[in-house]
Amino acid sequence: MSLAAYTEGFEQFAAGLPAGQRSARREHYERFLKAGFPTPKIEEWHYTDLAPLGERRFSPAAEGGAVPTAALLAGADRLVYVNGKLDQAHSTAAARHGENPLLTDGDSVTALNAAFATGGLSLRLSRNERLPRPLQVLTVGVAGNAPAMVHQRHRIELGENAEATVLFQFLGQGAERLTSHVVEVELAPGARLTLYRVQDEHADATLLTRIDATLRRDSRLETVAVDCGAGLVRHDFNVALAEPGAEVALAGLYQPAPGGHVDNQTRIVHAAPHCRSREQFKGIIDAKAKAIFVGKVIVQPGAQKTDSEQRVANLLLSRKAEVNAKPELEIYADDVKCAHGATVGQLDDKALEYLRSRGIAADAARALLLRAFGAEVLDQLAIPALRDRLAVRMGLAVEDIFEETVGETAE
Amino acid sequence: MLEVKGLHARVEGKDILKGLDLTVRAGEVHAIMGPNGSGKSTTAHVLAGREGYEVTAGSVLFDGKNLLELEPEKRACEGIFLGFQYPVEIPGVSNLTLLKAALNARRKYRGQPEIEATDFLAWVRDRAKLVKIDPKMLSRGVNEGFSGGEKKRNEILQMLILEPRLMILDETDSGLDIDALKIVADGINALRSPERATILVTHYQRLLDYVQPDYVHVLAGGRMVRSGGPELARELEEKGYGWLEAA
Ligand SMILES: Nc1ncnc2c1ncn2[C@@H]1O[C@H](COP(=O)(O)OP(=O)(O)OP(=O)(O)O)[C@@H](O)[C@H]1O
Ligand SMILES: [Mg+2]
Repeated sequence: MSLAAYTEGFEQFAAGLPAGQRSARREHYERFLKAGFPTPKIEEWHYTDLAPLGERRFSPAAEGGAVPTAALLAGADRLVYVNGKLDQAHSTAAARHGENPLLTDGDSVTALNAAFATGGLSLRLSRNERLPRPLQVLTVGVAGNAPAMVHQRHRIELGENAEATVLFQFLGQGAERLTSHVVEVELAPGARLTLYRVQDEHADATLLTRIDATLRRDSRLETVAVDCGAGLVRHDFNVALAEPGAEVALAGLYQPAPGGHVDNQTRIVHAAPHCRSREQFKGIIDAKAKAIFVGKVIVQPGAQKTDSEQRVANLLLSRKAEVNAKPELEIYADDVKCAHGATVGQLDDKALEYLRSRGIAADAARALLLRAFGAEVLDQLAIPALRDRLAVRMGLAVEDIFEETVGETAE
Repeated sequence: MLEVKGLHARVEGKDILKGLDLTVRAGEVHAIMGPNGSGKSTTAHVLAGREGYEVTAGSVLFDGKNLLELEPEKRACEGIFLGFQYPVEIPGVSNLTLLKAALNARRKYRGQPEIEATDFLAWVRDRAKLVKIDPKMLSRGVNEGFSGGEKKRNEILQMLILEPRLMILDETDSGLDIDALKIVADGINALRSPERATILVTHYQRLLDYVQPDYVHVLAGGRMVRSGGPELARELEEKGYGWLEAA
């Protein structure tokens, strides 16, 4: 594998860094260089081959570009990045931007990210502090003159009993791009974080995200992840339930657009007793799209009274659709409750027929059934404007998701 | 209103209907009876436009329009309603969502504006009373967890709300207790009018005691083998179908 173009890019990038930072960055880069991009030979990358990236030439993105203002959420504070650079004009929470320490280091992708990373969200809440509004971190990739790469580091640290809702949104437009985001999350005892991750990438883009979260006593992490883009997308979700009473709930809905490839890998480590984990992932897969879900749950020795549940359901819209769903449980404690289940199904023809026989057009009937399938996850996204927009984007919109109050008002 | 002539239809390569004739005029009630597997449900589904049925010969006119070339949803918008022998459960799509979507599809088809939310709910509540369905149940998924009898009453409720012109009810009376049968019959009678027509597929005289048919037909081997008045149903109840085949 020739990574010459990356080395060239790195030298250029390193030259622009303050002298004191160069050697640390070089160490990260060397480690990436040594390992190269992951190939399917590595177990965790069985379904996603990044080797072809080695032959590509990406330069650190220089140009900015226009912000799709329709994506800006009302009622939220915002950090907006265009090609990795903070867009001051559209950011209402620019003070939350910062350089972050390069703590997480794991596979070669993370090393690559560490070598090139620029800053990102840097959210630190002190004890009992609460974000009054959701914080939208919108990252936009726009076409430049040459294939570009963007690597960002984000960090969220919530003090005791602090609370926040953060939305990471990855949007891409034309042109070849390589983007990686590493998000580090530290939740102090009793802290609560709601994390949304929404991806709508362009077909020529590669997006690699990784969230590493450590949860202390009685803290809670709740996430909803939605994927609807067409790019080559890989998400790693690593959660350590480090102290008793910690709780994580991961929900995901993926519906890759034609040509899209979405690989979700979750790794939940129950390192302490009395922790709870919930995973609920749903996929809608059409021909020419590919989705992967691998959910690893590790219950360490001593993590008694672990309560863990993983549910995966995939809906195939075509015989040619490709999906892989795999639970991986490693349990080293004996007094635990670990449930998991994976299903694969098709749209119910009988239900479609029934709806059509009542006068509902075929495409509307399909949308009703898809919405019913995805709703369990999508409805957990507690930002209605975004949720409704995603429903439309994914063909799950039902015109009248009206309040069903007939029962209450009946005499 | 409905004119079926020489209808031949097959399912999965098997000929089921073999020259079926049926003429239904506005205001009439027709009962179709016949042995199991004779093609009654097939007839109902072909009229409603279900996929998988291949019409190999014959014609179906509805108000002079060629029904066979319309999609099932268009037929529904034209005013045809099929009460299913086995209503489908659709978890996650509430009864109200279905009803509102169906009602608005019809209105759109006729160039009318969508129904106001409050008018819709008032209308649904009013109709639900007729079939003694607790409106609270309508927030649940379509037929989800409904008992057999509740499903059948729900079919009638949909029909009362959508107000079709041609009602085709496929064994809506099967599996009902006495009270529910009465409710279903009342629902059907509530819609009877000189502009509307009804086709009842049934195995039992009981329903016909409540909903008086104008004509009774016996379907056997994919064709109507006998047609008559209400007395034919009583004769069948006594003698079964054997004597017809022998004749
Ligand atoms: N999808 C199908 N595939 C194969 N055969 C079918 C299919 N649907 C119906 N048939 C066959 O067609 C014939 C007529 O079936 P149909 O359901 O119309 O009978 P029916 O008169 O409604 O009977 P019942 O009184 O039992 O409801 C039966 O022999 C049945 O097995
Ligand atoms: Mg039948």
